[in-house]
Amino acid sequence: MLDRDLVRDVLRAARSRGGSFAELFVEERASVSIKLDDGKVEELTTGLDRGAGVRVALGTSFGYAFSNRLDRGALLEAAGAAAAAVKEGSPGEVVDLRTLEPGVVHRAERPAADAGAADKVSWLRAADDAARSVSPEVRQVVASYGDSVQRVLIATSDGRWVEEHRPRVRFYVTVVAGRDGNIQTGSYGPAALSGLEFFDAHPAVATAEVAAKRAVTMLDSVPAPAGEMTVVLGPGMGGVLFHEAVGHPLESDIVDKEASVYRGRIGQQVASTLVNGVDDSTIANGWGSFSFDDEGAPAERTVLFEEGVLRGWLYDRLRAEKDGAPSTANGRRQSYAHPPIPRMTNTYILNGASDAADVLASTDRGVYVTNLGGGQTNPATGDFVFGVSEGFLIEGGEVTTPVRGANLIGRALEVMSAIDAVADDFGTWEGVCGKDGQGVPVGSGSPTLRISRLTVGGTGV
Amino acid sequence: MSDLHELCEVAISAASDGEAVEAYAEETRRVEVEAHKGEVEGLTFAESRGVGVRLTARGRLGYAYAADPSEDEVRRAVAQARENAGFASEDEHQALPSSSSIEPIDGLFHEDQAAMDTDRRVRLALDLERVATSSDPRVGKVESAQYGDAVSRVAIASTTGVSAEYARTDCWCVVVTLAEEDDETQTGFSFRVGRRLAELDWQDVAREGVERAARMLGATKPQTARVPVVFDPFAGSSFLGVLAGALAAEAVQKQRSLFAELVGEQVAAEIVTLVDDGRLLAGPAAAPFDDEGVPTGRTELIGSGVLNGFLHNTYTARRGGTVSTGNASRGGYRTTPGVGTSNFFVDAGGSSYEEILRAAEGGVLIQDVSGVHSGANPISGEFSVGATGLRISGGALSEPLREMTIASTIPEMLRSVAAVGSDLRFFSSVGVPSLLIGEMTVAGV
Repeated sequence: MLDRDLVRDVLRAARSRGGSFAELFVEERASVSIKLDDGKVEELTTGLDRGAGVRVALGTSFGYAFSNRLDRGALLEAAGAAAAAVKEGSPGEVVDLRTLEPGVVHRAERPAADAGAADKVSWLRAADDAARSVSPEVRQVVASYGDSVQRVLIATSDGRWVEEHRPRVRFYVTVVAGRDGNIQTGSYGPAALSGLEFFDAHPAVATAEVAAKRAVTMLDSVPAPAGEMTVVLGPGMGGVLFHEAVGHPLESDIVDKEASVYRGRIGQQVASTLVNGVDDSTIANGWGSFSFDDEGAPAERTVLFEEGVLRGWLYDRLRAEKDGAPSTANGRRQSYAHPPIPRMTNTYILNGASDAADVLASTDRGVYVTNLGGGQTNPATGDFVFGVSEGFLIEGGEVTTPVRGANLIGRALEVMSAIDAVADDFGTWEGVCGKDGQGVPVGSGSPTLRISRLTVGGTGV
Repeated sequence: MSDLHELCEVAISAASDGEAVEAYAEETRRVEVEAHKGEVEGLTFAESRGVGVRLTARGRLGYAYAADPSEDEVRRAVAQARENAGFASEDEHQALPSSSSIEPIDGLFHEDQAAMDTDRRVRLALDLERVATSSDPRVGKVESAQYGDAVSRVAIASTTGVSAEYARTDCWCVVVTLAEEDDETQTGFSFRVGRRLAELDWQDVAREGVERAARMLGATKPQTARVPVVFDPFAGSSFLGVLAGALAAEAVQKQRSLFAELVGEQVAAEIVTLVDDGRLLAGPAAAPFDDEGVPTGRTELIGSGVLNGFLHNTYTARRGGTVSTGNASRGGYRTTPGVGTSNFFVDAGGSSYEEILRAAEGGVLIQDVSGVHSGANPISGEFSVGATGLRISGGALSEPLREMTIASTIPEMLRSVAAVGSDLRFFSSVGVPSLLIGEMTVAGV
């Protein structure tokens, strides 16, 4: 993307006042998005983004400047601006740049750019038809297709030179179903770091059917009960909760600011012994995967919990250097316009030994959650809230009536300790995680698991 | 400024017969300083520029964008938009707005703010942290203390006669404090926005961040009860996003709004007035024209509790047989304009904060809600959210409360507003004063 001499000059300019290291992140992103709404192709957008960010670090402080011009003048100017954040010092060294070969490669067999817009539109139309044929109660379908290829180059003053292509595909369907005055929505949006072979595993029609069934199912829902009760989380959903309530407080910037409920607890039993959790950017074609993180650290699997014992933090480079630990390849950024910060990748609770059907059958009364609408957590206190977008009552070991308007409210430490069953039917959920104004693709995953006591906020009695 | 306009001209001169082409160009310069433990933790300089091209031909819409494009790349984006339009469905309402006369807004751009030197920004972030960590012995740390500002320039031109531009300065500061006592930690958030630093009350942000964290120490879970509830502006603002979505004509036309059939009906208590005003200088979203070049203005969506109408852009207005309210909105040059709010707020009422507390004896002040985004159904208006707050007793705030849930529906809440505060305050581009809601079920144990 840029020649090595120019990159070296930019890094030298960035180190003109010293600092602990300098880094250049260059990005080009070509993207296509198509939206079918109300049976019409509303828009088809193609875009080309590019830019570069220069970071100069000094301990855990940094200066960051970016530009979407890639010419020498603009890059040197950005380097000068970033260097200005470091107080007066003498120039630092820039060692020879050496290409790092990826240890993990995520193959894209059929690049999205090889398919024409007509094909992509036809998948959306098929999804629209499929959703509508699920039920006459389906009123509206919004289907969207998105692909992008992000090409990055990362070079650092200590000699790292990393290049990566990251192709991503997502297909998302939202369905509105109605019966008399009752209107409910359902959505589903699988995604992968992959080419169009993604659709072999996730055909457009199947995605649409899941979304439509969710909306139609919720038409029969009753207001959710309120109070403390047993909650069974379906495949993938425990991962969403793990990401929000546990994963964020394990991010090393939050730990460093003494704003994590897990601070000082490494090696302690902070979850049920049934909990084994990892963050793993090496998952083949995972939505949150990569070959290198956005600081050029090779992808890796990081153990977070081992039989409920807390094993480690999610490190970016700044915080890892401060703690004298290796980076866990969790330094990520939304784009060249953002400095990297510690982020999750694919965050999973691993399979246990129970059978999912047995877990439900042995639950006398509670709520079974099959889709979460998203959540919020306060890493300092561990308090979290999640909206349940698809859930059911459990009565006498049977999954019965769907419930609406429920949310799950609790605290990370208590809830992780209250997990009393972990099944072996692992599933994933893909989303975009927001932090400090930056969105990055993340995967969450878990098997079915049960929380013996959790507060459910609902409107029913 | 002129070169943004020139890029727009390049795009529209590439239009072919039978096409309408619009180019939207924007340029942003943003600087943010994050302070931590008396040092500058992060200093970010951001500069970006881009052009989005919207093209319609025979009722079909195509869109393409490019970051910091050369003139050739702008022409290529026009060609790409043309190709994309070929795949879009025909829609008779799809059209670009024609030219209108645009009245500039005085005070939107401040030369002194645009020319601010970085040392001053750094000092402000450090001062913000210092004040926030030195006024209460229990609040000795911050999770975040940040000052930021931006200069934005927007130019838009089209083959249908639109040609306009503006420049704007914005600044903001935000603090998240940590209050600690024994083994407990509470966080306190505060935030203010302004057109220029000289008018930004950052000391108040520090003070408020400290107060909001410290007063939550010792919070317990309350008994479930039906009591008067006061939403302070922080908590109330979370609900405005749900209202904004439901009042956009796009949602109404696609049968996704809980207000669809209710124009002319009493949808809220008589003391509720809900406004969108793109020309309100004090609102962060102030701009003389919307994101497709239509003049902005004041739209009273709910007046004396009665629903008057919806927010429109050119497309939804054509489809609904009305005129645009100047509410075309896009997330920058990368996206086509949809319908969105500008400065969207519940207008200030006549009650002071103290009067509202006195009227809510035995009730709860909600200072923070979480999960509105995921816990509210934008179509049915049902919601169930987590909340933290304080008991109200003797006309003042007393013990702190946590892990509460509040469940209701947006329509029911609007109808139950019993008092509207005079303390209207903006959070990003939504504003709300303190609101007293007659009674709600606050669920705890």
